[in-house]
Amino acid sequence: MTRADRLLVAGIAIAALLAWPLAAVAASNDAQSAVIAGPAGTSMLPLDTDTTVAVEGHLGSLRVRVEHGSVRVVGSCCPNHVCVKTGAIRAPGSVVACVPNGVTVSIGGSDDVELDARIR
Amino acid sequence: MSSSMLASAELAVPRLVVGSTRRAAVGAALLACACVLGLLESSLPPLLPAPWLRLGLANIAVVAALAVAGRRTAVIVAMGRVFLVGLATGTLAGPVTLIAGAGAVASVGVMCLLESFGTRYSMLGWSAAGSAAHVLAQFGVAAVLLRSSALLSLAPPSILIALCLGAGVGLLARTVVSRLPSR
Repeated sequence: MTRADRLLVAGIAIAALLAWPLAAVAASNDAQSAVIAGPAGTSMLPLDTDTTVAVEGHLGSLRVRVEHGSVRVVGSCCPNHVCVKTGAIRAPGSVVACVPNGVTVSIGGSDDVELDARIR
Repeated sequence: MSSSMLASAELAVPRLVVGSTRRAAVGAALLACACVLGLLESSLPPLLPAPWLRLGLANIAVVAALAVAGRRTAVIVAMGRVFLVGLATGTLAGPVTLIAGAGAVASVGVMCLLESFGTRYSMLGWSAAGSAAHVLAQFGVAAVLLRSSALLSLAPPSILIALCLGAGVGLLARTVVSRLPSR
């Protein structure tokens, strides 16, 4: 690795480290709920109530479960199941994405999108 | 041996390409390698705790193509791999290939740019920076497709991991290139 390589890698790493807290803050406006955004619209689930809901995506249905203050995708019809393998998220700004279905599940971070529904 | 001498020795890779036929043969072989590595990697278990990240093994072929056959061949290998792997996995018309294509364009673009500086940057530097550009472009396109900037919160930690993985891939590519016949 040359000196220029090391400077380049260090520069990218420092930029990523500086952007990390900013990105997390920008994504977390309200850490009391899970925001589910997809082709059918955007909805919120309160994190203090355990529940499982079905969310419609481009390919079919996903099952999203809120449990003990965290949220995760427990089932999906997508090919690779990256969303299911991501597991549970609970920290503000965390996100699970199912790209083939066009669905994201995040903690807080309403992303300035007007809500279509609030699920209770 | 000083680090600058090491870098010069590392980059003093004789270009295999001396004619259009040879260029086509080398490009096709590396494209085949990239496709096989890409398909192999897609069958590996996910990298926990970041299952959306990949090792980037197919990039070994792209870095090797850039080192031994030049920028044009590297671009063909990078974009050809996205097309052929998308065709083989049935995801060609979906968002996955669009995201993979954006990552490939960004990655090979950055690597070609660094290669244009001559011996200043090594294959490790190309690969690490290309890997970071790949991840950033993928998150950017995914955020646009999903209309959610919340996804970008995953980008900084992913870029840090990608730098390490990219350097590892660059090391592997350097090993492969050092064992290629010079004629």
